[in-house]
Amino acid sequence: MIKFDSVSKVYKGDFPALEEINLEIHEGEFVSVVGQSGSGKSTLLKLIYAEEMATSGEVYFNSNLLNNLSRRKLPYHRRDIGMIFQDFKLLPRKTVFENVAYALEVAGVPDEEIQENVQQILDIVSMGEKMKKYPHQLSGGEQQKVAIARALVHAPMVIIADEPTGNLDPVTSLEIVQLLMRINELGTTVILASHDKDIVDRVNRRVLVLDKGRIIVDCAKGKYKAS
Amino acid sequence: MFLTIRRTFREAIQNFIRNGWLSIATVSILILSLYVLSVFFVVTSTANGIMKDVQGKVNISIYFKPDVSEQAIAEIKADLENFSEVKSVGYVSKEQALDDFKRNNASEPIILQSLDEIGGNPLLASLIVKAGDPTRYQAIVDHISQASFSSEISRINYGKNKEIIDKLNSIVATIKRIGTVLGVLFAAISLLITFNAVRITIYTHKQEIEIMRLVGASNYFIRMPFIFEGMIYGVMGSVFSMLILFLSVRFVTPYVSSAIPSSNLIDFYFSNFGILLGGQMALGVFLGVIGSLIAMRRYLRV
Repeated sequence: MIKFDSVSKVYKGDFPALEEINLEIHEGEFVSVVGQSGSGKSTLLKLIYAEEMATSGEVYFNSNLLNNLSRRKLPYHRRDIGMIFQDFKLLPRKTVFENVAYALEVAGVPDEEIQENVQQILDIVSMGEKMKKYPHQLSGGEQQKVAIARALVHAPMVIIADEPTGNLDPVTSLEIVQLLMRINELGTTVILASHDKDIVDRVNRRVLVLDKGRIIVDCAKGKYKAS
Repeated sequence: MFLTIRRTFREAIQNFIRNGWLSIATVSILILSLYVLSVFFVVTSTANGIMKDVQGKVNISIYFKPDVSEQAIAEIKADLENFSEVKSVGYVSKEQALDDFKRNNASEPIILQSLDEIGGNPLLASLIVKAGDPTRYQAIVDHISQASFSSEISRINYGKNKEIIDKLNSIVATIKRIGTVLGVLFAAISLLITFNAVRITIYTHKQEIEIMRLVGASNYFIRMPFIFEGMIYGVMGSVFSMLILFLSVRFVTPYVSSAIPSSNLIDFYFSNFGILLGGQMALGVFLGVIGSLIAMRRYLRV
């Protein structure tokens, strides 16, 4: 489903962020990408959601080459992916409900369907009670749940989570990861970047270890291994 | 398509309201700019009107020797009317001149008395000539003094008026020149300020635009609310500016009317309501939209 074919990424005037990455991720997998800051985790994810383009090599998503994805097609590609970030990235001037609904509005989903789906997904992440609140009225964990609801609501093929627990306390972190695992059980591919050992051990699925832009470990079922 | 327009428009109104203070600040700047420009428009238009009025009162009078017959004057009148620079020629007979004189001096018994003592009518018949273009009086005077009938003329009072007419012409020319320069300057300054205000407003949405892109919104879907918001700025700005303009015109009119009886600012305001409002709205919407579009280019990476 996602394929990296000897991919390298060099930011202008910098050392390579990724070097010669060969990687394949299949449907339904839960992949944890670990490594220290600057090891290339975020860059790897950015190549998948086409925020960055590979300097050399090829990145495929659903057997579509992403290297020369046109600006017009980019939004459509993004709608196949649900994204979760460390800083939540909720729209500050929209309520919980509107934030989640936005992901459907941009895709032209009819109003009745939006109403129904958003309600449902907010109940799943147990945020149904607070759908009229604004992000700043919520705790970090609650905001992240809303972000997950938004990432899920349009039924994407892949959820990409870049350090989703980075700003949360251990208990809330655990809650978020359990949520991600449930999502994965329902069939959605999940790619989780994290440097939190507890979290990755808890997931106990495929682990990729990145170091200085290279994959040094790729084990099908494993635990966080410090490089 | 319709769904997108509806959604993006609703989004624009929501942004406008939820951004409360920033919206008010932006619209205020727009109101100020539009107001300054429209005041300028009203002032120059009124000044132009007054100048035209004054220019319309300028004329040359040709007085004929007492023995020239009425018929001869009528022929000269016809001749003058054929001269291209002349707009109109009016005939004032001796009798009418006397009547006018008496009326004008009705409160001066000594003058009227002396008139009676002279006996008969000492006044001369005259033709009053108006030019189409007030700067062309000299040409008309030249034409008359070279004409065959020049020997029948007692005097032309242009010489006396010449200075006033020339002065008036140069004042009008100066006002027009200064007006144009000031107008362009005002317009440029207020356009720049407004444009920047709108841009700054958009820049505060930087983070939101990035999030929208990540969630899969097309550039079109991101851009439309900002364009609509720009339009709302323009419409609100022009409506409020018109309101303030009305209040200031109403306040100023009594003072101006006593100085210049021929102009009424309130009438001017209402007879030009369409142009004023339409022009401001067009300009306001243009500024809002262009400001939004340029500001967004940066974040949309188009």
